[in-house]
Amino acid sequence: METPTADDLLQFRDYSGGAPAQINVNSPTHGGSSGGGSIGSIGGGGANAQRQRGDPLADLIYDMTTSAQGFSGGGSPGGSQPQSSPQDGSGGGGARLSFLTIEYYQQFFNVDTYMVLERIANSMIPKRAAGNYLRMNIGENPDLYGPFWITVTLIFSIAISGNIASYLHHANDGYLWHYNFHLVSYAATCIFLYANILPAVLWALFKYSLKPVDAADAIETESASYTPSLLSLMCIYGYSLAIYIPVSILWVINVSLLQWILVITAALLSGTVLIAVLTPALRNSQFSLFLIIGILSAHVVLAAGFLLYFFHNPPDSGLAAGAPAPASPAPPAALKVTEAILTAANGNQSH
Amino acid sequence: MDSKLDMFEDVNTSPSLEGDMSIPGKRTTTATNASGVPDYNTLDEPIRETVLRDIRAVGIKFYHVLYPKEKSSLLRDWDLWGPLVLCTFMATILQGSSDSMSDNGPEFAQVFVIVWIGAAIVTLNSKLLGGNISFFQSVCVLGYCLTPVAISLIVCRVILLSSQTSLAFFLRFVTTTMGFAWATYASFIFLGQSQPPHRKPLAVYPIFLFFFIISWLVLSHN
Repeated sequence: METPTADDLLQFRDYSGGAPAQINVNSPTHGGSSGGGSIGSIGGGGANAQRQRGDPLADLIYDMTTSAQGFSGGGSPGGSQPQSSPQDGSGGGGARLSFLTIEYYQQFFNVDTYMVLERIANSMIPKRAAGNYLRMNIGENPDLYGPFWITVTLIFSIAISGNIASYLHHANDGYLWHYNFHLVSYAATCIFLYANILPAVLWALFKYSLKPVDAADAIETESASYTPSLLSLMCIYGYSLAIYIPVSILWVINVSLLQWILVITAALLSGTVLIAVLTPALRNSQFSLFLIIGILSAHVVLAAGFLLYFFHNPPDSGLAAGAPAPASPAPPAALKVTEAILTAANGNQSH
Repeated sequence: MDSKLDMFEDVNTSPSLEGDMSIPGKRTTTATNASGVPDYNTLDEPIRETVLRDIRAVGIKFYHVLYPKEKSSLLRDWDLWGPLVLCTFMATILQGSSDSMSDNGPEFAQVFVIVWIGAAIVTLNSKLLGGNISFFQSVCVLGYCLTPVAISLIVCRVILLSSQTSLAFFLRFVTTTMGFAWATYASFIFLGQSQPPHRKPLAVYPIFLFFFIISWLVLSHN
């Protein structure tokens, strides 16, 4: 065991007394090469030095974390602490803002036009997003602009197209058509529940089913696995609903085959994108297969429920009682199926 | 939010005697009364003049919405009288009639809430995007910009009284579309400047959606 050089000693004394932050990054190589034990016994220094000298693996992790923080400009500090990213998600200032100020909420709307368009496109087109999309793009700057306005747009586009479909249905038979405003309420309840509860459940499941990983695995899969924050999940789910907006307008065309093709296509497109984006998190989970099936089926059931409730079942079931015998297009069997699927959807949402 | 609001109101109420915007500007300076040069005394004048002056200020705002050329005139001195009148009027007309069981139209409160909460949410959105405008200024502009939509509602009502054919529907459709386009254009003129350029579409889209939904209510009312 060689004696520590004067250089090493000087360096050690330097940082045991002063601010430890920066020197930590490059000192472990020194300590490791000179057979660490002696330094520790001589210095007997602060907790910082003890932790430093522990094992090269821990040092490496520490280095990677600090450098990653440097790169991301004080962004979210990595996969181990998902909750912290809402607070310092958009980075920069570092000063904690009170949640009563409008500046606190401005960080969730810190997006530009091209960014929103990009995210919408990424939510529809498979294989468009990069592999680290969840972590580097969404995780760094989760926004609530897109999810909020996409859900609002979807609510009204479904309510409006549902009414148009019902109108076209009655256009021929001289029946005085009345529009049904309550579709807005139903659509709002359904969509807001889906866009809020499902990410929360998914987030809880991710947290609950986190695979126990030891330090070595953590290093190897550092780039691959990542547990997203609740905000990121809500962001992704909100954007994943975007494809239903054009689809809900196309559902007005009253061709059953076309409508079902649209359901399957839309749900699979956005569902597979959802799975692909969430892959890093799913890889981290113990029952990932169950989660994949759950996500996909919830997505398909949502689309099918939209179609059956708002389009195949025109809102004249309530009118039929008062009106003088209009042609009743929706047989009772279809109603039963609708109800069954809707209850299934609710069950699926609440898991 | 409140601190920012105060800041913008200070800017507005600071003496702005430029001459062309006569009535609202005058009222503001009279209200502050310390910095401006009041050419009349609100304590001595008859009540009729006070009321008429306020009504005239509201009327001028309606005119500016219908003829959206001057950019900042509507923003300088906001009030919520016009929006209240328009919103109450539209909600009264649009509410589902109680004479038949089969009418599933919106309730009075639903229209009212959609207009006010909608305007508040749109405004909040532009504030959150970093817009440079005070809360009530934006609500005021959005409310006043309902004027073309309200006019199209009146026209639709008249058309509905006469006939229910598909030609009537087509006329209603054209009227509502015009009202919608007009309202969106006017509010874009007034509010479009308050956003940084790379975020302008993000702020304009909710305005578009807001007027679209209300125009839909107008069109589908029968």
